[in-house]
Amino acid sequence: MPDAFSSPNQVRESLHDQGYVCSSEIATITYLSDQLDKPLLIEGPAGVGKTELAKVVAAATGRELIRLQCYEGLDETKALYEWEYAKQLLYTQLLRDKLQEVLASAGSLAESADRIAAEENVFFSMRFLLQRPLLKALLSPEPVVLLIDEIDRADAEFEAFLLEILSDFQVSVPELGTLTARVQPLVFLTSNNTRELSEALKRRCLYLFLNYPELEQEIDVVNLKVPELDGALTRQAVEMVQGLRNLDLRKHPSISETLDWARTLVVLNAERLDRGLVSDTLNVLLKHERDLKRVQQRLEPMSGDGPEYQGPEDEDDQSRYL
Amino acid sequence: METRLMQFARALRAAGVPVSMAETVDAAGALTALGIKDREPFRISLRSTLIKRTIHLPVFDELFPIFFDGKAELPPDMDNALENLSDEEAEQLALALRQLKDDIADSLRRLLRGEPLTRQDLNQLAAMTGLDRARNMRWNEWMVRRMQAALKHDSVRRAMAEIAKLLEQVGFSKERLDELRAMLQANIEAETGQLQNFAGQRITDNMQARPPSEDVEDLLHAPFGRLGEDEMNVLRQEVRRLSAALRSRISLRQKRQKTGTLDLKSTIRRNLGHGGVPFTLSYKRRQKKPRLVVICDVSTSMRYCTELMLGLIHAMQDQISRTYAFAFNDHLEYITPDLAHGSAQEAVDRVLVRMPPGHYSTDLGGSLAEFDREWLDLVNHRTTLLMVGDGRNNFRDPETGIFQEMARRCTRTIWLNPEPPMLWGTGDSDMNEYLPFCDHVLQVQTMAELTAAVDELLTR
Repeated sequence: MPDAFSSPNQVRESLHDQGYVCSSEIATITYLSDQLDKPLLIEGPAGVGKTELAKVVAAATGRELIRLQCYEGLDETKALYEWEYAKQLLYTQLLRDKLQEVLASAGSLAESADRIAAEENVFFSMRFLLQRPLLKALLSPEPVVLLIDEIDRADAEFEAFLLEILSDFQVSVPELGTLTARVQPLVFLTSNNTRELSEALKRRCLYLFLNYPELEQEIDVVNLKVPELDGALTRQAVEMVQGLRNLDLRKHPSISETLDWARTLVVLNAERLDRGLVSDTLNVLLKHERDLKRVQQRLEPMSGDGPEYQGPEDEDDQSRYL
Repeated sequence: METRLMQFARALRAAGVPVSMAETVDAAGALTALGIKDREPFRISLRSTLIKRTIHLPVFDELFPIFFDGKAELPPDMDNALENLSDEEAEQLALALRQLKDDIADSLRRLLRGEPLTRQDLNQLAAMTGLDRARNMRWNEWMVRRMQAALKHDSVRRAMAEIAKLLEQVGFSKERLDELRAMLQANIEAETGQLQNFAGQRITDNMQARPPSEDVEDLLHAPFGRLGEDEMNVLRQEVRRLSAALRSRISLRQKRQKTGTLDLKSTIRRNLGHGGVPFTLSYKRRQKKPRLVVICDVSTSMRYCTELMLGLIHAMQDQISRTYAFAFNDHLEYITPDLAHGSAQEAVDRVLVRMPPGHYSTDLGGSLAEFDREWLDLVNHRTTLLMVGDGRNNFRDPETGIFQEMARRCTRTIWLNPEPPMLWGTGDSDMNEYLPFCDHVLQVQTMAELTAAVDELLTR
């Protein structure tokens, strides 16, 4: 299979062209995943761009993105394939005359049964196979990007079922035999870490932990996505958000919320961050009432535009997530 | 390189990171793809292939430099401070050194000359300081400090200050003296670096030589009160393993069970293949969405088992998303947010730091009253109420009325008590008063009993 990327640097550049700012770590691991044909498991807090990474890789390589959203109770018929009973039934009805014809010359019951058996694979063929995302990704003649989103939401047994696909890129359909990928897809799995994934699954993947970005990197992201916002204001806003992430909140503002806030500031024609403005627009960043109240209280000592403000509970963000 | 990689994998394993053969092979593959010229891609390729859990990232970051920055084998970069001295100055220095105690003078002379420690010296130090028996990275700093003490770094610094005065009196130039002092300092630092590398290396060697023990079975049946620190560690791992096993068992059981009402739509669809004759029936599977309210005693009397109990609550929270966990000693606190992040160990530590146990301060009745005031709406017909504690209340009002109301509102009330039934009702124990309102009261004294209790809790 032709590799999608030629070097980590190229990954970085082509993702940047798609509007995704990535660190050298992300670029290197994405490149490795492509080189080694290994699925990439991405973990991290919500809203740091895990799903986005798969999307931009698809866009950057010009491949189709096939997405499987996981949820509790997801099973093979929803993820892999299903026989189209209705269509099969319809075909039997329509082909009744033809069947009569085939059976007409048969002498004995056994012979008719044999003849029908000989036609069996007409009905259990790809024609009647309803392809779900996983099978679609495997059978696609063009290389694709397969995104298995929020794998931690699926049941543990679904994970076990994924193992064959992820290690050998093949599936067994009892009626058809083993179907092997024509072109190996690039596979991304994301997990919000709501539960521990099985060792077997992890062993088959490369691992990337995405955390909230550093200050400069986040500023780059905002500059790229919301270029209308004034440079100095961008820095202030991002510093403020980064400060919020150090607080003990139920839900920390993610990158997407930073971007929403930046857009809000543009719409409001804000020229500088002051207390009134911040407290009016805070609900763009924080989605829990308790968090809102807590930050409102903390705003009191915050003078005019003090973006250097740090919460007293100076908790390391990484350690909170670990 | 391969040997080094294997050693690295072995050290990671010894430090508690599960690294499989397949992952080591992947790591080798990644190295082939990216090359080993640059440090950063090299580090990233090892990290992404060998480490699969966030809690193991720090272990990697600690071990990686020890293995691959390659300083351990080389002697440190030390300068000889004495070679630039004139004969006269050397004489003066030798005289001054004679004022000091012999051993300190020797050490000072060695450090000034910049003679690095030999393998033999280091081995001797390791035997002396107990480094040979250290099998855990957190001993690293401590061992370095002990070795520094054995090498008398502090005394040497003080001695230098002393003889500096002497030398100044006999007419040593100030620049020369500063130079000497700076070089001594640099050499001490270099030696400390050497010690750090050596300690890290030695500890990983020790870890490889004897990985942590794994005889869990006996521990499962040992009472919580009698466990040592090491045994607790093994048990903690066991809690993790059990929770994973429970998870899949429960999910399978829920799937396989044939209960619920007939699902007409799905039955018709499934039997289309048989011409509409219903050979196979399908049932509406009720998604079990239990809600769990846990109230856990973290007071002194429960001290010996709170940690494991909290660990288990952490595991259950992983399993049942609607878990509301509370802890109490003299008051009640909502601890689900504390347990929501991180490994069980960290989460439990967070709770215990927040709620330090006091003496004779347990207020079970008061905590129930607080629950009644603030949180009673959490208890409804879906809720299973799980009490964890010994029911000892310091002779305060047991508030049985409130407990009765809570028990009435929920589907099931389960009490896990670490004390044997014969102690219930003795002293300040109000267990017998609460007993009539509980659906199950389980005595949980060992890990095996705890597992059985949880299994029952999650499946019925």
